Amino acid sequence: MSAKADTRAKPAAAERKKAGGLGSRLRAWREQHLYSLVSSLGRLASRPVATLLTVGVMAIALALPLGLGMALGNIERFSGSVTESREIGVFLQPDVTVAQARELAAVIGARADVSAVGVRTPDEGLAEFRAMSDLAGALDVLEDNPLPTVLVVQPKGDGDTLAADLRQLPQADIVQHDAAWRQRLSAWLAFGERVVQVVAVLLGLGVLLVVGNTVRLDIGARSEEIGVLQHLGATDAFVRRPFLYLGAWYGLAAGLLAGLLLLAAGLLMQGRLSALVASYGTQFSLSGPGLRGSLMLLAGAALMGWLGAWLATGHHLRRTRPVDV
Amino acid sequence: MALLRFDNVTKAYAGSAPALSDVSFSVEEGEMLFVTGHSGAGKSTLLRLVHLSERPSRGTVLVDERNLAKVRGGKVPLHRRRVGVVFQDHRLLTDRSVYDNVALPLLIAGTPGSEVGKRVRAMLDKVGLLERERSLPVQLSTGEQQRVGIARAIIAQPRLLVADEPTGNLDPQLAAEIMQLFASLPALGTTVIVASHDLALVKRMRRRVLVLDHGKLADDISPEDLAA
Repeated sequence: MSAKADTRAKPAAAERKKAGGLGSRLRAWREQHLYSLVSSLGRLASRPVATLLTVGVMAIALALPLGLGMALGNIERFSGSVTESREIGVFLQPDVTVAQARELAAVIGARADVSAVGVRTPDEGLAEFRAMSDLAGALDVLEDNPLPTVLVVQPKGDGDTLAADLRQLPQADIVQHDAAWRQRLSAWLAFGERVVQVVAVLLGLGVLLVVGNTVRLDIGARSEEIGVLQHLGATDAFVRRPFLYLGAWYGLAAGLLAGLLLLAAGLLMQGRLSALVASYGTQFSLSGPGLRGSLMLLAGAALMGWLGAWLATGHHLRRTRPVDV
Repeated sequence: MALLRFDNVTKAYAGSAPALSDVSFSVEEGEMLFVTGHSGAGKSTLLRLVHLSERPSRGTVLVDERNLAKVRGGKVPLHRRRVGVVFQDHRLLTDRSVYDNVALPLLIAGTPGSEVGKRVRAMLDKVGLLERERSLPVQLSTGEQQRVGIARAIIAQPRLLVADEPTGNLDPQLAAEIMQLFASLPALGTTVIVASHDLALVKRMRRRVLVLDHGKLADDISPEDLAA
């Protein structure tokens, strides 16, 4: 190489040395990300209707499984409170007297798995039956009270073991403990959870496809620009970056809208639900995803948008890259 | 030492005659030369091989003693940053300003933002477009658009610049102006290869000329021979 050529080569070498420091490279990397982040946001804002439609579709796809999941969580919470307080009814033999029943109640009440035991005498039972039914006239013609003494046992746990023990008592005629009902409810809840998981996976794929397709259309509209960037020496990462941010913005906006939709749905239902549960003499309020859940929703939605865009750009880059380069 | 060397390079496409056939030549650093020939002679293919948009079917292309066959994957973009490219149709990004178009190679190369502004404005000043930095490409004349294309190609100080018919769409006066701009680049350390079918313009520039004919290197004319 000639001395002249050496002199000419120096500026480029100095340029490379100047740009090569770790600090300046990190700064440049940050600036590139900032540029992609802001430009992708500007791209969304430049076509508000299309953006809103895409975000709306994604938000509904996110809100459906989330809403189902939250409904299931609320049902579990509600049924949990119901089953916890379920009583075991021990209908004693007709020959057991009230005094004997009270002694037995004291023995049962001493058990560790029992929280309380009440004694309902035949007279109390008859009065209650009379008050709750329209058979008062018919009851008047009975010569004897046919109702037995009943022990009302409140278990501390699920009560299955306790109910089995109570059935072994010689004084017990019938032990009423609706375990089957609770098992069926648990089975339905487990099935519901699985349905939510399947729906979530399907609609999650839908979200990926929506983002992927939207980004694919955007890539198609900017294919010439991508070609120019590649000719100027842009890496795949550089080309892909604005689209990834675009996908993440879509996801984030969809997550936010899905959260708002769920909040609105909850507010709409809470009033009617409160009136319904109040008629059963209890209180219940719907619970939402909470702060942690909301943040997870936003992060997850943004991640899904990012992933959908990554898949779409990856496909385009593989297709447009010269085969032997 | 040659900055660019073609050794027995052939580029063939399936089902057609070779675009380039057994072409060999070398280019010294700081040189400016023209590649000329009729349409389909292989000019663009030659430039595409230098820019790594294509790979040769046979033979070797070396840039700065580096065999381009060994430049693969993630190294390809790095090679392209060292080779500026000017297109006949400019290929400017129509939704970006003149400033943003010229700044692209610096953004791609990861040049710090504080430096980008200074260098872009200096480059626009050099090509006489500083006052148009906020304009969109559609607001510029064809000659101005080509000057933006050239500014974009050389802003990152590439060792080598390839230009494919850069004056193809310009009137003779503008074409001469653009060529003078190219001619000033070797003094800044950039080797320039211009493909053009405009023989009259090429002769006026009095630079080395490679003549391609049906993919073969038909002649390699020195500036002295051209002047004679």
